[in-house]
Amino acid sequence: MAVTEQLIETLTEKLQPVQPLRKPGRRAALWSAFATLVVAVIGAGWGSRAELAHAVTEAGFFVPLIGSWLTGVTAATAAFHVSLPDRSRRWLWLPLAPVLLWGSGFAYTCFVNWDDLPGSLALLPESACLMTILAVSAGLTVVLLPMLRRVRTLRPGLTAWLGCLAVAGFADTAHLLVHTEQDSLLALTVNLVPAVVLVVFGGLAGRRAV
Amino acid sequence: MEFRAEGGSVPPVSDRPKTETSQPTRSPEEDWSLLMAQAQQGDGASYRRLLQSLTPYLRALAHRFGLGGADLEDAVQDVLLTVHSIRHTYDPTRPFAPWLTAVARHRLLDRLRRRVRQTGRETELTEAHETFAAVETNHPELAGEAARLQAAIATLPEGQRRAVEMLKLKEMSLKEAAQATGQSETALKVSVHRAIKRLRGVLGGN
Repeated sequence: MAVTEQLIETLTEKLQPVQPLRKPGRRAALWSAFATLVVAVIGAGWGSRAELAHAVTEAGFFVPLIGSWLTGVTAATAAFHVSLPDRSRRWLWLPLAPVLLWGSGFAYTCFVNWDDLPGSLALLPESACLMTILAVSAGLTVVLLPMLRRVRTLRPGLTAWLGCLAVAGFADTAHLLVHTEQDSLLALTVNLVPAVVLVVFGGLAGRRAV
Repeated sequence: MEFRAEGGSVPPVSDRPKTETSQPTRSPEEDWSLLMAQAQQGDGASYRRLLQSLTPYLRALAHRFGLGGADLEDAVQDVLLTVHSIRHTYDPTRPFAPWLTAVARHRLLDRLRRRVRQTGRETELTEAHETFAAVETNHPELAGEAARLQAAIATLPEGQRRAVEMLKLKEMSLKEAAQATGQSETALKVSVHRAIKRLRGVLGGN
């Protein structure tokens, strides 16, 4: 007990003021606004407006686009909430509906276009757009990571996993805006595979980072 | 949208911070939320009072988690350190007790998990784990051959004995032994050679 008293003395002796964290919802909104801006700039800079105007009228493009963006926003919100000790783990389920929306859009595209495999294969060399996903992911992670690290969370695994899901969602939104032509193999390999890899491996590696 | 905070166990009524609906058993200065808010602004006195008033509650909580003795006190200190390192995550507009309880539960569960992992890996040694029950087997220096060798070395002349001890038992280099004794390396070699020859004779070797 004497040691505990000594510890309290030590902790209080050189106490420094700290700035309480902003509300998690506000922090999530801040990051999501930044991510949306990055996605919009990339879409405007590298995407084709004519193709985009045509593509948004198709459900196979529009549904994954909205789903991926909503996944990014909700996963970021969940990550910022879950990172705090007194917030429920049930925030984990917040991105579930957007993820289903995101995935179902690709499932629809695959289902409709699966018979056109040669066409899909022809599109694959354009998979340089993987670079779009990597670049956007890297840029968003650079901003998100310090924001999550500042919490010094007691739930690093869950926080990292949700953070990676948020990054994956926004990265795919950017990719969809740049590459409006979606096909079966392309939808699977270029959209879903990087997202799954980012979420699984990023979540595992991010556990130590956050 | 707001989920309710987790952490089913909250402080007992006597330890709870005062709220508008609870009995005013504490002065406003002793309200944990207020003390923590003041601590976040760097008020050391408030922080000391807060940590001191938290300690009995944390001990009771740790006891409920099955900890006792030094382990319990270690756990309390661990929670206090965690509270200190993440005090910026406490939102002064929210109640303090759920925040504290969640932090304490995290730390206490971590400790319990660690303890279960450790006890799962460790096996207590019993007499059956000894090679033989005879005392000599667990104390080689008492074994017959070693004792005979030590007795034989003790009978050597001073110079030879020191040379054997340094070069063969302590495994010093010739240079080190020469520096330690002040003898030349050649003299030491000769001493060791003669000592080994003599030991072979005493111990009946070839």
